[in-house]
Amino acid sequence: MKYPEAIGMKKQILILSFASLFCVILALYFASRGTTIVYTHLFYIPIILAGIWYKKKAVYLALLLGAVYIFVTLFFIYPTPTEILVATLERAVMFVVVAYAIGFVSDKWAKGEEKLKETKEYLDNIIKSSADAVVVVDKEGIVRSWNKAAEDYMGYMADEVIGTPNKKFFAEPEEAERIMEIVQRDGELKNYRTIVLNKAKKPVHISISAALLRDKNDVPIGTVRVSRDVTKEVELEEKIKEERDNLNLILESMADGVYIVSKDYKVEFMNKVLIDLFGYHVGDVCHKVFHNREDPCPHCKITEVMKGKTVRWEWHSHRQNKTYDLVETLLKNINGTISKLTIFRDISERKRMEDELREAEERYRIIFEHALTALCVLEESGIISLANQEFALLSDYSREEIMGKKWGDFIAGEDRERVLNYCAERRAGGAPAGCLFRFVSHTGEIKQVNAWIEPIPGVNRCIAALLDITELKRKEEELRETCERLTELDKMKRDFLNVAYHEMRSPLAPIVGYASLLESCELPDKGRRYLSNIEQSARELDMMINRMLQLATIDGKKIDLVVEEVHLSEVVQEVVKGVEPAAKKKNLVISMAVPEIEIQADKEKTAAIFSNLISNAIKYTEEGGKIDVSAEDTGEDIRVCITDTGIGISEEHLPKIFERFYMVDTSLTRKPGSLGLGLSIVKEYVNLHGGKVWATSEPGKGSKFFFIMPKRQ
Amino acid sequence: MQKKRILIVEDAAYMREMLAEMLEQEKDRYEVVDFAVNGKEAVEKYKELKPDLVTMDLAMEVMDGIQAIVEIKKYDPNALIIAITALGTSEQKNAALDAGAGEYLWKPFSIKNLFDALERLQRNGKE
Repeated sequence: MKYPEAIGMKKQILILSFASLFCVILALYFASRGTTIVYTHLFYIPIILAGIWYKKKAVYLALLLGAVYIFVTLFFIYPTPTEILVATLERAVMFVVVAYAIGFVSDKWAKGEEKLKETKEYLDNIIKSSADAVVVVDKEGIVRSWNKAAEDYMGYMADEVIGTPNKKFFAEPEEAERIMEIVQRDGELKNYRTIVLNKAKKPVHISISAALLRDKNDVPIGTVRVSRDVTKEVELEEKIKEERDNLNLILESMADGVYIVSKDYKVEFMNKVLIDLFGYHVGDVCHKVFHNREDPCPHCKITEVMKGKTVRWEWHSHRQNKTYDLVETLLKNINGTISKLTIFRDISERKRMEDELREAEERYRIIFEHALTALCVLEESGIISLANQEFALLSDYSREEIMGKKWGDFIAGEDRERVLNYCAERRAGGAPAGCLFRFVSHTGEIKQVNAWIEPIPGVNRCIAALLDITELKRKEEELRETCERLTELDKMKRDFLNVAYHEMRSPLAPIVGYASLLESCELPDKGRRYLSNIEQSARELDMMINRMLQLATIDGKKIDLVVEEVHLSEVVQEVVKGVEPAAKKKNLVISMAVPEIEIQADKEKTAAIFSNLISNAIKYTEEGGKIDVSAEDTGEDIRVCITDTGIGISEEHLPKIFERFYMVDTSLTRKPGSLGLGLSIVKEYVNLHGGKVWATSEPGKGSKFFFIMPKRQ
Repeated sequence: MQKKRILIVEDAAYMREMLAEMLEQEKDRYEVVDFAVNGKEAVEKYKELKPDLVTMDLAMEVMDGIQAIVEIKKYDPNALIIAITALGTSEQKNAALDAGAGEYLWKPFSIKNLFDALERLQRNGKE
């Protein structure tokens, strides 16, 4: 561009130079001939050209030509008449004036042209560099202009699309016509959302604005469209919508009630929990539907919430008889408005539990206060933080004084370490609950106490219960002494009885002995009968003494079994032989069915068992009755049964017959010769052998005595 | 058959007499050689008379029967002794048997009991 311009400039200078030179030569020629007037008009040719081309710079050329004209005139016409001088100067001035005038006009004209050019370039640049796509489409829907931004998001270059129909760009081709229609109808289109397909046939969300393009005569010739890729905005909007849906879902599924109220008390949202509780009231005025009020509730927190404060408070619904924990906070809506979000949490159950807890606490406090046991609460540091009245009584301090005192100060010095160790162990969950120690009261009095230390779950505290057992201990000591004295007395009694029985026996020896000697003497029948009675009485006396001796031995707890091999049948036979006289007297038949068994047992005591049982059977069986002694080997044990056909034992006596001194009949008419010792001896001896004895009976028909004893000791 | 010579050791006079009366019933077989009233005397008389059998009461003054049995057994391990007592405990019986008595007789006893015991003592002693 610069090069041709430079050439143009040179041409102009050349033309101006020649024209000026020609004018100077003409002026010289006419001046030399004495004329000056006619041909000065030729000077205007270079001056006007210079004015057009070089604007105001033409003045310099005019001044130069004017000067040359004056000089030539003054040189050739001398002395110069005044009229010529004036005319010359007048002409020269005219040159300058014309040059300036033409220069001024052409300057103005050139400047206007330049501005127009600049404006056009500026607009072109804007369109080119616009972030928005600018596309011009004519009436037939043919693309006429396509800028850089359009190239960018559509992928088509301007060359590819200018002159082609715009229909093909839309995801739905009818959109092209629709847009055209709207623009023609309304004259413009604003922020219209549609989807176009780029060169890669991918959908692009765009926002399009369009205006009608008209010619000079105001006839529409097409549309200019400004559009923008809004795919990202659309995605964002979808995301926001999704999140709002999620939020609603969360609010719906919350266990707490949620509702949103607008600034003017309109319910905007209620979640399911709240709808179930109060019914569906979205769109209603909150104080009307929830509180039956025409005006907002006095306790309403909406003013505070609208100021941006989050308020938490408790509200009791009398209608529901429920207490709610409310959290209310400001909610900024997408459309810029603000609402109040309220979360309802039903805390009735918690309230109820709190009340119950308080009640329980009160109950336990009363128990604690009025317990007849001294109670105190021990902190981890060993400080007493609470004590009841009984503790105050025990310690001789007032209850106020006890608080903050050290637990250890109440324990006698020699017990202190042990008790404190014990407390620590109890805290750790070990050691049994009870502990005995000496308690020191305010006055220094020592009291024997039994303490239970129980850790309180969850906190590092223990509760200590102290029972003053000083008196109990004293009584216990007394009791122990009494017991010792009694034991001693008992031993003395036993020793005495032991000796007494022996001493009773000694004189029995000559009675029995001489009676047996007398048998071999010649006696009258009467005498022999007397002798028999003496012998019988002596034997009974002996047996009684024997039993008492055996019992004394049992009471002394010094009986050992002398275990040996014992032939059961031999023992039984011997015993039966011994009692035969008594049986014969009553005309009783004793039958035996005892197998040849050898067992390990104390022979003497085994004999005593049989002897007592069989004697008993004889004693309680009427004349002509029958007694069976049977035994069987059951493998590990022997099982013995002694059956009689006696008077039997009634059910009320049956469980007690093995008790010592128990006599079924204590009246004066009772059977003679019974102290109620026999069966108790049987029981003791059977037990000693590791066996068991029992009886069954049918009153009036007879009794059965059983015992089992292990064969091996 | 030679008569068995018996030493009767007994502190009670009526018992000594009774035992003698009982043995008199079988005078062909038994002969009372002497009496002793306590353990000490019994040991001395045993050494002096060397009887075939001894009836020994256990509860006596000066020296009791158990002690006497031990002493006699020490002197003559083959001595045949019947312990006789009113002390009815098995401990007493066992103590006497452990000391060396061959038989044990509880008071009161009949004449039959005495001779049965004497028979058993001799039978077992021989074995």
